[in-house]
Order: sequence, then C-alpha cells, then structure tokens
Amino acid sequence: MPSSLAPTAVVADDERLMREQIIGRLKQAWPELSIVGEAVNGREAVALVRSLEPDIAFLDISMPEMDGIQAAQMVAGEVHVVFVTAHDEYAIKAFEQGAVDYILKPAEPERLAITCQRLRERLKGAPDPMNELLAQLSQRLGGAAVKAREYMRWVQASVGATIRMIPTSDILFFRAEDKYTRVQTPTFEALIRKPIKELIDELDPNEFWQIHRATVVRVDAVEQVSRNLRGQQVVHVKGSPEKLEVSRTFNHLFKQM
Amino acid sequence: MSTDQQSPASDAAARGRGAAVTPRPTTTRQALSEIRGGVAAMWWGFFDWLAIVSWKILALISLLILILVGGIYRHPTPALTLIIASVIIKAVAGGKRKAELTASEATKRADTEQLERTVLEARMEALQAQIEPHFLFNTLASIDQLILTDPPRASRMQQSLIRYLRSAMPQMRDGKRPTLGQQVGLCSAFLEIMAVRMEGRLQWAVDVPEGLRSAVFPSMMLQTLVENAIKHGLEPKAEGGRLEIGAQIVDGQLSVHVLDTGIGFMPKSEIGVGLANIRERLKVLYNGRAELIISVPPEGGTRATINVPYEIAAT
Repeated sequence: MPSSLAPTAVVADDERLMREQIIGRLKQAWPELSIVGEAVNGREAVALVRSLEPDIAFLDISMPEMDGIQAAQMVAGEVHVVFVTAHDEYAIKAFEQGAVDYILKPAEPERLAITCQRLRERLKGAPDPMNELLAQLSQRLGGAAVKAREYMRWVQASVGATIRMIPTSDILFFRAEDKYTRVQTPTFEALIRKPIKELIDELDPNEFWQIHRATVVRVDAVEQVSRNLRGQQVVHVKGSPEKLEVSRTFNHLFKQM
Repeated sequence: MSTDQQSPASDAAARGRGAAVTPRPTTTRQALSEIRGGVAAMWWGFFDWLAIVSWKILALISLLILILVGGIYRHPTPALTLIIASVIIKAVAGGKRKAELTASEATKRADTEQLERTVLEARMEALQAQIEPHFLFNTLASIDQLILTDPPRASRMQQSLIRYLRSAMPQMRDGKRPTLGQQVGLCSAFLEIMAVRMEGRLQWAVDVPEGLRSAVFPSMMLQTLVENAIKHGLEPKAEGGRLEIGAQIVDGQLSVHVLDTGIGFMPKSEIGVGLANIRERLKVLYNGRAELIISVPPEGGTRATINVPYEIAAT
C-alpha cells in the first residue's frame, strides 16, 4: 500500500448526488486525500479496489447488484472500509463497537473531520479484516448470512393469456392432470408444468401436505376429512366443492388425536 | 328494526309498570294491571319461543305434556287444546316472527362486524402509511447536496417532499374517502423525488384518464405498489428501468396497475408486509369484490394490479 504518498480513496454509492456530496465534503475535511475512483454498485466498488488498490473505500450500504456489506466482505483486509448510510439503526449499533467507521448521510463536516482523523491513525496499520463485524452486519441486514431453507411462496402460472404470480397462501390444492398440474384457488384455476413430485420438494412442508400420488393440499384449507363408501379418507376443502381422496400411504396424516 | 321487534313484549311490560307507578287509590287495580303486564310478557315470551323452537322439539314436548297431564289428571282436553293452539300459532305466525327475530339478530351482528371492520381497516391503513425512514433521510441528504450545487432544483425537490408528506401522513388527511386522483398525486410526488435521486435510472409515466381521477380508491395502496416496484424491481437493477401507473375500467371495475421493467419477481421471496397488507385491507373493505393480482408481463418485470368496484367519490 502506497502510504508514503498521498492517501487514496474510492467512493461507492448508486446515487450521483450522494457521491458528489461525500467527495465534496472529504475535500474540505482532508485536502490531501485523493479520490481515485467512483463506483455505482458493490460489484464496481470491488473491481475498483482490486485495480486501483486505494487505502480507503467509502461504501454506501444499500446499492444494486451487490450491497456495501457484501462488497466489504470481498475486500476485507485489502482496504480500510468506511460505511456510508442514510439510516440504519442496526448498522450504527455495530459500528459503535469501533471496528470501522461509518458516516451518516448527509455527512456533517464536524463528524466527517473525526472520521478523517481516525482514518489517518488507521492508515499506519494494516486494514482490519472485520470478520466479526461483517458477519454481524450481514446477519442483521439479511445479507449473505446462512438463512433457513427457503420455500416457494409464489407459483408462477398461466391464467388465460397472462402469467400470474399466485401466493401459495391462496392455493387450495395442486392436482396432477395428464401432463400438467392444476393449481386451484377459491376463485380460479391455473395450469403449471411442474409435476407434483418436484413441487413437493419446493413447498413448505408446514404449509402443504401430499395426500395422494396426484394431490397436494394446503393444510389450512382443509375443512374436514370424512370417509367415502369404500372406507377411503376424503378431504373436503374450504372454498371448493371438490373432494380429494387420501391414498393409504398418507392415511396417517389425518389420524385422530 | 330492533325496537320494532321488542315493542310488543316491552310495551306490555312498560304499560304494566307505568300503571303501577301512577298514584291510583285502588290497590286491586294496580295488582290487576301488574298481572296483566306479567301475563302479556309471558305470552310474548311464549310466542317467541314458539316461533324459534323446531317442529321436532314441539312435537316431543307436546307428547310429554300429553303423557304427564293425561297420566296425572286423565283429562287430556285442556292440554290438547293448548297443543293444537300452539301448532296453529306456529304454523300461521311463527315463520314471520322467527324471520323477524333472526333479522334483528343479524342486524346486531352486522353492526358489530361493521364496527370491527372499520377499526381493523383504520389500523392497517395507519400501518401502510408509515413513511420509510430510509427514504426520508436519503431524500433530505440529496436536498442538502442540491442546495449547494443546484438551488432551484433543491427547492423543487423539497416541494415534492412536502407534497408527499402532506398526503402520506394519515392525520393530515381530511377524513373524506380517498380518490384515485389523490393517490396518483401522492405517487407522482414520490416518483419526482426518486427520479432526481436515481437520475437516468428511472423513467416514469402516469396514464390515468382525467375522468377516473374522481373515483374512490383506498389510500396508500398505490403508493405501496410504486415503492415496491422501485425498491424490489428497479433499484436493484444496475441500469434501472421504466415505471408506469395506469388505470382503466374493466368489466365495470376500476383497474389500477403499476408496471415496472425491473428485475422481476422471485418465486421464493416472502410475501412482503406491504402486499399482504393490501390483500387484507381489500378483503376488509370490499368483502371479496376486490383483488390484487401480481403478474409477469411478456417483456419481463412485474405488473401489480388492484381491481376495486368503480365508485365516484361524493363531492
């Protein structure tokens, strides 16, 4: 890192006005600092850090393509990172633990002067890898941290000439029909190509139960279960006159308590 | 309606009590009218019971009375007379009386439901009207920058923000039913601000015929759709895109849509609080006569449509 020369920095923010603002105010607070590059998203910021090797990166937290936290994770240890944010109480709490600095938009000159002073001190040492802080931040902001398994919440299906996104909470049941799977809601039906055995893997098992080789029903939509003349369990669904047979393999689902 | 139903019984009772209060010298008269009132009340009580009770139970009770009375006195005639009279009364007047009673019950229930719905809707509307701090602070920061570099533009942006805040804050609205025109105005103020901030990354257009602007349209729903389109559709897309607000009459319903050319919908994305809120509010406000449809236009992006009954706001 060329710290014997004038210190360098890159600024990343998706809004031009905000980049201008921070650059303008940095010039006043720290005239020796030279801004060598501007990025409009996290991906560009990472590329700039890698190619220009600046001392400091000012990263906006919410940016398209890749946000500031993700970008910081990629360049951690290579550059001193300062986050810039308009409003984020969680992030601010984490920053206050002192690992890196943050700037609140619009940057107040007095506050910015403190940040610059801190940075001058930091530049004498190697950039902090910020492991703990970044892990905390990304968890709080729902970023790259490990999340619980995600299930399908919308089914994309053709209804007439349009492709609709049907919330799974609207669906009464899925039923295999020839080459298609029928999606039934209280008000309409739609067809999708995905077969039942693929669907069942993507649906939340707490929301949908398979009751037959060809049928998957939303648990909350079940009104009652009765038996037909052959002694087979039959599911009645709220909002549809259709009765759905339960095959023997799935009988245990509706055992009496 | 409910006072109508109560009148025979309560009138009789009131008359009885009224007579008792008046300072008449003769106590026998007083007692008589009290008895009369009591009998009348009992009679109406019996009548109501007759109207409601099912034929099956009436038959069962009749049988029981016949057995009891017949067994004890061996004089079934008075009991039989009473039973036959009951059957005739129930057959002739019971149906109407029963309908009246159920109607009054239903009115009471409907009143309570209506009240519950109003409260629920007010709560959800307030929830939806919450202004996002992120938007507010970012906008103020942009204005701060424009004051230095482009004061006339800063002033315009601040005016847009004022217009937005005025119509977005629920306590600043006048209590009249919101119109589509107001909602489009609010969204336009929001989009003007976002267009300054996002510059070339946001193009937007409003295609709402003048005649439809006076139609009733629930507050803050269009705003939520526009915010979603920006936040989840256009802002995450590096090159940005177009947003369009449109309205038309389709099959006698007012159909309002927000179309964006953003990154499109993810099947695994959770149903956001905003959309869930709109769906709940539509249910409460229109009881199944309105809907929110999310669809994918052939050219990509997202189209969110709200269909509500077409109604002109009273002026």
